[in-house]
Amino acid sequence: MTILCVRFQLPPMYEAALPELLGLLEEFTPVVEALPPDGALADLRGAERYFGRGAVELASVIRVRALARYGVDCAIGAGPGPMLARVALRHARPGVTCAVPEDAVAGFLADKPVAAVPGVGAATARTLDDYGLDTLGRVAAAPLSTLQRLIGAKAGRELREKASGIDRGRVVPNAVSRSLVTERAFGIDELDPGRHRRALLSAAEEIGSRLRAVEKVCRTLTLTVRYAGLPHSRPRSSGGTPTSTTRSRTLREPTAHSADLTRAAYGMYEALGLQRARVRALALRAEGLTPADHASHQLTFDPVDEKVRRVEEVADRARAKFGPRAVMPGTLALVRAPGRPTAA
Amino acid sequence: MPGFAHLRTVSGFSLRYGASHPERLAERASERGMDALALTDRDTLAGAVRFAKACAGAGVRPLFGVDLAVATAEPVHRDRRRTPVRGGAFVDESAPRVTFLARDGARGWAGLCRLVTAAHAGGGAPLLPWAGQHGDGLVVLLGPGSDVGRALAAGRPDRAAELLVPWREIHGDALRLEAVWHGRTGTGPGSLRLAARTVGFAAEQGVRPVLSNAVRYADPGAGPVADVLDAARRLVPIDPRGELDSGEAWLKDAPTMLGVAERVVEAAGFRRDTAHRLLEQTLATAAECRVDPEGDLGIGTVHFPEAHLVGAGRRTAQRALASRAAEGMLRLGYGGRRAYWERMHQELDIIAHHGFASYFLTVAQVVDDVREMGIRVAARGSGAGSLVNHLLGIAHADPVEHGLLMERFLSKERVVLPDIDIDVESARRLEVYRAIIGRFGTERVATVSMPETYRVRHAIRDVGAALSMDPAEIDRIAKSFPHIRARDARAALEELPELKRLAGEVRREGERFGRLWELVEALDALPRGIAMHPCGVLLSDASLLARTPVVPTSGEGLPMSQFDKEDVEDLGLLKLDVLGVRMQSAMAHAVAEVERVSGERIDLDAVEPGDPETYRLIRSAETLGCFQIESPGQRDLVGRLQPAGFHDLVVDISLFRPGPVAADMVRPFIEARHGRAPVRYPHPDLEEPLKGTYGVVVFHEQIIDIVSVMTGCGRGEADRVRRGLSDAESQGRIRVWFAQRAAAKGYDAETIRRTWEIVEAFGSYGFCKAHAVAFAVPTYQSAWLKAHHPAAFYAGLLTHDPGMYPKRLLLADARRRGVPILPLDVNVSGVAHRVELVSESPVVWGLRLALRDVHGISEAEARRIADGQPYSSLVDFWERARPSRPLAGRLAQVGALDAFGANRRDLQLHLTELHRGARGGGGDQLPLAGGRKTAPAGLPDLTSAERLSAELGVLSMDASRNLMDDHREFLKELGVVSARRLREARHGETVLVAGAKAATQTPPIRSGKRVIFSTLDDGTGLVDLAFFDDSHDACAHTVFHSWLLLVRGVVQRRGPRSLSVVGSAAWNLAELVEVRHTEGLDGVAARLAGPSGADGSPAGGDGGPLRARLAGSEGLPAPAGSAAPDPMADRTIRLSTGYEMHPWADLRPAGQDAAQGPASLRKLWHQSPGSAG
Repeated sequence: MTILCVRFQLPPMYEAALPELLGLLEEFTPVVEALPPDGALADLRGAERYFGRGAVELASVIRVRALARYGVDCAIGAGPGPMLARVALRHARPGVTCAVPEDAVAGFLADKPVAAVPGVGAATARTLDDYGLDTLGRVAAAPLSTLQRLIGAKAGRELREKASGIDRGRVVPNAVSRSLVTERAFGIDELDPGRHRRALLSAAEEIGSRLRAVEKVCRTLTLTVRYAGLPHSRPRSSGGTPTSTTRSRTLREPTAHSADLTRAAYGMYEALGLQRARVRALALRAEGLTPADHASHQLTFDPVDEKVRRVEEVADRARAKFGPRAVMPGTLALVRAPGRPTAA
Repeated sequence: MPGFAHLRTVSGFSLRYGASHPERLAERASERGMDALALTDRDTLAGAVRFAKACAGAGVRPLFGVDLAVATAEPVHRDRRRTPVRGGAFVDESAPRVTFLARDGARGWAGLCRLVTAAHAGGGAPLLPWAGQHGDGLVVLLGPGSDVGRALAAGRPDRAAELLVPWREIHGDALRLEAVWHGRTGTGPGSLRLAARTVGFAAEQGVRPVLSNAVRYADPGAGPVADVLDAARRLVPIDPRGELDSGEAWLKDAPTMLGVAERVVEAAGFRRDTAHRLLEQTLATAAECRVDPEGDLGIGTVHFPEAHLVGAGRRTAQRALASRAAEGMLRLGYGGRRAYWERMHQELDIIAHHGFASYFLTVAQVVDDVREMGIRVAARGSGAGSLVNHLLGIAHADPVEHGLLMERFLSKERVVLPDIDIDVESARRLEVYRAIIGRFGTERVATVSMPETYRVRHAIRDVGAALSMDPAEIDRIAKSFPHIRARDARAALEELPELKRLAGEVRREGERFGRLWELVEALDALPRGIAMHPCGVLLSDASLLARTPVVPTSGEGLPMSQFDKEDVEDLGLLKLDVLGVRMQSAMAHAVAEVERVSGERIDLDAVEPGDPETYRLIRSAETLGCFQIESPGQRDLVGRLQPAGFHDLVVDISLFRPGPVAADMVRPFIEARHGRAPVRYPHPDLEEPLKGTYGVVVFHEQIIDIVSVMTGCGRGEADRVRRGLSDAESQGRIRVWFAQRAAAKGYDAETIRRTWEIVEAFGSYGFCKAHAVAFAVPTYQSAWLKAHHPAAFYAGLLTHDPGMYPKRLLLADARRRGVPILPLDVNVSGVAHRVELVSESPVVWGLRLALRDVHGISEAEARRIADGQPYSSLVDFWERARPSRPLAGRLAQVGALDAFGANRRDLQLHLTELHRGARGGGGDQLPLAGGRKTAPAGLPDLTSAERLSAELGVLSMDASRNLMDDHREFLKELGVVSARRLREARHGETVLVAGAKAATQTPPIRSGKRVIFSTLDDGTGLVDLAFFDDSHDACAHTVFHSWLLLVRGVVQRRGPRSLSVVGSAAWNLAELVEVRHTEGLDGVAARLAGPSGADGSPAGGDGGPLRARLAGSEGLPAPAGSAAPDPMADRTIRLSTGYEMHPWADLRPAGQDAAQGPASLRKLWHQSPGSAG
């Protein structure tokens, strides 16, 4: 009963507030692992003794402080290990902390759906569901060899361990946000490639400047195109999330340079060859963030590259001083913002 | 002041382009003082006949033309674009378009037909190859969309001059350059600059210019509709920032067009009065295009295939027909009967009078060919009344014996084309078409088209997509509507109880829907596609292709005329209706199955008439699956009528028609039949025609006889009179005429008055006895099969699925009749449903389910599996039958692979690994246990509920047991009465019934009210429900949109075998089962106390008995006397017969079709415990 999993109720696009909230957790324990965009794991093993309170009581304290100081509510799950804490979080609400009892872990897990376990994604869950292994109890009861035949040797072994309540995970302290995302939504079903590219440019610019602001570089860029569904396709009965396409590209070198990011984004977009697809939104995600000063940069004899980077630096400073719309690429200035950021 | 003629006008037949109907265009042209109007639809002449008729009515001279995409003389090379990962490629509309107008009468019309045929010949998007160009009697307009116009728009007059050369070579003086000004800016189509350039270029090149308005809609303000059509055609949403329709493309009047001409010529640098010359040129062109609808299109003349093609040899068709008829007399053994010879000669006279002999020979030829192919064929329709047809082997029933009249079919007085319909096996219909084409050649045969028009659901989908609405939401809105006309969308929202929820949403957040409703209504009845008519085949002489454009059908590649049924009749083309009837296929399959397993050959056409076993079955009203008598209403009627012979079946079928039901013929007939009311005739002379039906007029033939007897005018004239009865105006004249003639024959005034009452009341409602006799033959045959070979009968039914009910209901019926249902098994099941011996003594035949019913199986896969039987192991099956992975999984789920050992989930796992192994090329050995059995993998097997769910999902049938069995316990708690026990229920008792919905209808009924009829199946039988309009507010939504229903209602009993439940409250049973599961009985109680059943008392209180009294004995409510003022009253559709129909009656109701099966509704009633999410 020593690990807490906290999820702050942050509106999307406010992930920048996460570091401060992590700071709040660090007042209790130094072992805090960020789960971007809005969560964190905290190991309270030492804290329980230090504060003389149980983890569940500490959870209430954390919630009160987050509310008082930042006006942010949170839901908290508690358990003997990080995996169990995360499972518990699924059943927690703000104000109701869900705790996994240390001595009845298997019983707690038995009737939970397999997808509750971190690391089991939609695809794995569907596979297991198809074979009638829809709860963790059934997974634990299935022969290991069968499980491994279903989802692979390593995944099978790990899943079976997790389903039996064996949690080998540890909280690894780090304060790094590992990815950044921005999205451009369109008011209507947008088919115009010009507008798509403009949205991509603006998104890449934003990602670039946000990366540079926190002095990070990214290794991978991911483009997600969300569609309104096909004009004559059969929408799913749930009418749930719209269909989408995702493409990833690993950059030649880790970078935060907007021009490089834009080029990569355009490349992915062109490869889709979209014509009649009804695009509702474009999202860019920068992944594999590492500190900028660890990144290497291939120098060239071409002076243009050097100049562009210098201009970018100046533009960043101008933006810092006069607001985000002070300096921007000409295409974006031409028409007012080609789509609003979703939640800002 | 010169007039104006629009040379380029498209109607709605230009699919997803034109926004007005041809009739509207003609009407507007006349109103705006124009003398001539051209119809130049895109790629089609389909609107031409309607247009010609409308123009004749409006006093406008019609011009015919077509707008075609034309391949340029030199082909264009285009870069191939990358294939999109999503959404598909743009619709290619880059081909230049040119308008062709017919000039020289029939030659011009034939030229148009040839052009359209040539443009469609290539398959894909219609495109006229350059080689297909010809200058035969045509005028050609090169407008802004042509290659020349595009060069001008691009500012390249030099290139335009170059492109003009090949056009001039072909069309010479018949070439025109067309200027269009729609007030657009720039130099593109519709801009003033392009129009001016066109006029200038024409002057320079010495080609005559004309002015047009490229009309897309009749009235101003329809621009947004055109935008929606554009979006639907291009499959993209409307881009409000892009180029929208200018709103100018309406049918402008002459002064406005003069203004346009003035602007154009001034912009071209001429003086303002040159505008008159431009208009004169336009009018002169219109004057040149002279095509007479009667003379040149051939409206009003008849063309039969040449006599030598139909077996006449060198004789005339009439001689050949006479000798064949005589031969038939001898063959059928009528040689010694004088009456038959007389009738034959009389009929031959009539045929000779009209010169229709070739027609009869043609039909006989087709029927002979079809029989030779071993396909079941039967004639239907009034043609069955002709003895000659019977003698030629076209009609099965003997018309003399059944008292059918030739005059109902054809008489000297009748001037319209007769039509004979033949029914063939539906599964082999296309074979029949190919045989006909093979016999007469493609130059004489074409199928008939059928425009599919926008109704509300499609209109919502297309408009919603054009307006960028969320697809899931569009889908939901569209599905919540019944299948009504698009123009009634808003009225339906206001009035229909099942749309109440949606209407509330619309009221609350109207702005979210924007102009949706307005645009939906604007699309009403516009054609959105052209399909092959399900039965019409054109037969003509070799000139067919000069009179109709022929295009290949999209699926089958059969030649299809662009004209629809009515057009074809107007054009004097001979149409033969070849209907594919599923019941014929089903019976053929049943007979084949019996022969396969027992060697017994059944000749259905020769089964003994009057078989007591068969009539016992019919009288029991358990006629599910029997042709024509399986609907809830028919089962009820059969139960009360208690047919004892063939004639009773004929009457039964005739009575169950909207007309007789509306005219209240049913009750007097039943009363008289069972001796509860005396049989009365207006006059003893009329006893003969009315005897067979106890004095009630049921058949058209009886009206003909009555009129003929009373007035002595002869039956041919009497039939003409009968046709006149449906028209209120001519009815008045007939009445006077009837009274005079009858008085002259010496009938007294009272008799005349009473007879006239009968004639007037029933004259236009009755049913053609020839039709009914033709229908009753397969009815009897199918009932005979059901009585004597039930297993084979169900095998046929399930294979060809002819009925109105979902397959699972047929399965339930089979189970009730004691036919064992054998599960699907890859080692035993065939492609089609089969009969299998289950036990030797007593001999019991079972029904083995078919592979073809597995969801997503292809014909080839099913065949491969069936051909490879038997399989020794799973691996053997996998390797030899090569099923796709999802298919194999589905087979395992429903237990088709159970023979290979292991449980169904283990089998799934093995299949996945086999699939993976095959992909990797490894081919690993599977772990085997005990020889060839598959080893278990320790996965949990499917629970019984999961098995049922899999059966429903994969087969759409609950094959192992009835799905209601799972809910017995709960239903017992509720005190639900089963269908079996319901038979003992008292009249007027309030009961709860439950079951899976099998059919829902809102047929037109006598009182003009809307009644929802629904049938539930609870495993023990069927429960027929009726919901009257006082319960609609509470029930309609639930009844239409749920699959499992719990209903409270009052028992209505009208005979020993006839009962139904009048519903007063309905709940979604699936939901209640869930609630029972999660919240227990208290939750259910809370739900029942809720609003869905809130209307409470009328059911058990005085409403029930009152309703029962009103409902009359025919099961349909009588007019409800002084009903409260009905908001629907002013919307009631009054038919010309005076019979009122509720505007929402006779629609396919909202929600999912019950017949579509539960596949998509599966999760509503069953949810596996604790599944993900």
